[in-house]
Amino acid sequence: MGCKTNNPAVWRFTRRFIVLSLLYAVFSVLSTYGLLRWHSTGIVIWLLAVLPAIPIAMAVLLTGRYMREEKDDFQSAVLVQSLLGGIGATLVVTTVWGFLENYAHFRRLDILMLWPLYLVFVGISYGIVKARYR
Amino acid sequence: MKNRLRVLRAEREWSQADLAERLEVSRQSVNAIETGKYDPSLPLAFKLARVFETTIEAIFSDEK
Repeated sequence: MGCKTNNPAVWRFTRRFIVLSLLYAVFSVLSTYGLLRWHSTGIVIWLLAVLPAIPIAMAVLLTGRYMREEKDDFQSAVLVQSLLGGIGATLVVTTVWGFLENYAHFRRLDILMLWPLYLVFVGISYGIVKARYR
Repeated sequence: MKNRLRVLRAEREWSQADLAERLEVSRQSVNAIETGKYDPSLPLAFKLARVFETTIEAIFSDEK
């Protein structure tokens, strides 16, 4: 998080997060291709489905690791508030959309969009939180 | 929570960046504490007291 920083914990977190995001993209393509083209059965279906969730789980663990490594507790507080904002916005938007889908014939929101949507909301939330402390 | 960070900094002619370097935190952290938007943790409050060679009570007061 943050564009200009000398904070080593932030750099490590950002670098690792980019790697995990790339892994998520690669695994998603691989799983989609595998499930559609390979006519997989049994446990292979489960393995292919679980594959893209691994970088997501790792990203959550990575966030926990960052919180332990971060010596600047203000920066930790900003991240916690941003994550909370991201979780809140994702839950609110998907709940509203769910009702619209079920009862107002709105277009179906693919559940696979949750992670990218969450990341977008965390990013927006981060900008708002940082602006509040300016 | 009110604080005297700006005054203590000015007495030493330190910029926010100078203080941030001494505390090993970001300049934004110093700014957030100084403007009263963020209350520091106890370890950081002790560090501030050490840097300014005073007590926590001499830097912070709990009046709104």
